[in-house]
Amino acid sequence: MNEILNIASLCVGYDKKPVISDFNTHISSPCLVTLIGRNGEGKSTLLKTIVGLLPSFSGNISFFNKEISSLSTKEKSTIFSIVLTQPPQIGNITVRDFVGFGRYPYTNWLAMNSKKDNSIIDESIALCGLTDFAQRNFANLSDGEKQKIAIARAIAQNTPIIILDEPTSHLDMVNQIEIFELLHRLVKEKQKTILISSHQLQLAMHYSGEIWLLNQGKVEINNPTFFKENKTIEQLFRLENKFKLL
Amino acid sequence: MLVLLSISAVFFFIGDLFLGSVHIPFSNVIDILFTSSSEKSSWNIIVLESRLPRTLTAILCGAALSVSGLQMQTLFRNPLAGPYILGISSGAGLGVAIFIMGLGFLGISLTHLTWIENYGIIISSIIGSSCVLFILLVSIIRLKDIMTVLILGIMIGSVASALISIIQYFSYDNSLKSFVMWMMGDLSNVSLTQLKILFPVVLLGLILSFLISKKLNTYLLGEDYAQSLGVNIKKTQFTIIIITAILAGSITAYCGPIGFVGIVVPHLARLISKSSNHIIIIPLSVLIGTNMLLISDIISQLPGSEKVIPINAITSLIGIPFIFWIIFKNKRISELN
Repeated sequence: MNEILNIASLCVGYDKKPVISDFNTHISSPCLVTLIGRNGEGKSTLLKTIVGLLPSFSGNISFFNKEISSLSTKEKSTIFSIVLTQPPQIGNITVRDFVGFGRYPYTNWLAMNSKKDNSIIDESIALCGLTDFAQRNFANLSDGEKQKIAIARAIAQNTPIIILDEPTSHLDMVNQIEIFELLHRLVKEKQKTILISSHQLQLAMHYSGEIWLLNQGKVEINNPTFFKENKTIEQLFRLENKFKLL
Repeated sequence: MLVLLSISAVFFFIGDLFLGSVHIPFSNVIDILFTSSSEKSSWNIIVLESRLPRTLTAILCGAALSVSGLQMQTLFRNPLAGPYILGISSGAGLGVAIFIMGLGFLGISLTHLTWIENYGIIISSIIGSSCVLFILLVSIIRLKDIMTVLILGIMIGSVASALISIIQYFSYDNSLKSFVMWMMGDLSNVSLTQLKILFPVVLLGLILSFLISKKLNTYLLGEDYAQSLGVNIKKTQFTIIIITAILAGSITAYCGPIGFVGIVVPHLARLISKSSNHIIIIPLSVLIGTNMLLISDIISQLPGSEKVIPINAITSLIGIPFIFWIIFKNKRISELN
């Protein structure tokens, strides 16, 4: 089968200690997938292993039948783009140039942008509603703005899969909603497959097409409606008496 | 800006040639440069065999140290990193210490053997820095985190310094003086023949650095982002450290350790260009470094005086106020990175 992402008997962990074992799943159409789980359950480890930043212990990850571990860093950079929890600390650069980093896998050794590169950069900036910021200095912006710019950079990288590791951790509610809204649109309008880890249960339930629930080394996969009804998430986060999910 | 700095570099270049303990009229200096003819044949020798090599060395030195410092600041994402942070120069120092003072133990005084002394110092310095380089490269393969490599480099530097002081303690006066002179940095020891080796080596290092500017840029985002943009992290770390060793190692071998240029110049380049893009700041650092070393060399000649002040003292004296200025102007030096 031609799957966007196929994961078979995957075992991941760090320092020789496995955190998630025998994980199997596949994604066959563009979708917003949210990884939910308590701290230390291995959300970051799983995401970083999928994009190839960490080696897996065993198992296979493939993109349209191409084994990820057999690809070069360069080839991987045209399949996955990433957004990490911490916005990069970088000064002396305009927002537009920062988003331009996304074109690095495609440009020559001098990083000269072609007409096509420039239009992709401008489009990514516009898509994230950052056009007014384009000439501002990246270092002088708020964390929320920086993360949106980091997402614009990932969009400019023009990869079929975008991976975000808790990108909203430092952001306020408005920014969090805006980012989920944006990711939701990317799936619908740009046919991107997006994997995001988040502690925002309500937003995840509202916007995701699929939830991966990480719990004690196992991953439970289903759609948000299922999880709302069977209350596993509420039990896991001990929310029964305090809060209600949407 | 680039044009302006190039013009000032030419200006200081000529100025540096003009100044020295023997007064030679300006027009004669120009004549000697272009036609190799002058009123006195001794002037010819002074300009072509003493001042010209020294000035050219200053240029190479400024360019090489600035660019290698810039690369270290980018690789370790640390504004205080410089070309010597990985202990490459301490390794060179240890090599030279063993050579100079070891000969002293064998009863050989170096005051008469200038030819052997010069080449011996260069070779022992290259061996010393290569050993450190080798340890660093092996540790990169073994260690996951580049910061651990940095700490290791600093520790290697301390061990080398400790060994140097032990050797110094047990060595004879003559050899101790030779070594201390080497530690002070000296641009005038390089002959035109030696320049024929130093020039291509430094040029190679500079060209390689420029070729990897794009990869250096991705390091500004952090290693994970760099990797996700298609950069092979280990290979790039290897390349950066080898280039730094070529640049800083060769300069240290010929001129001794020259401080501060490598730390200060990259900051000036970022400050002036308001950019972090290595494609811009590498050439800019070359020019600023060149200007700075030429100025330092001019000051060290202090027009008319017989004695020459050690170049290391000058670069530090110019360098430190610059660092203060940057700190007070920007408050947060880290944001420049």
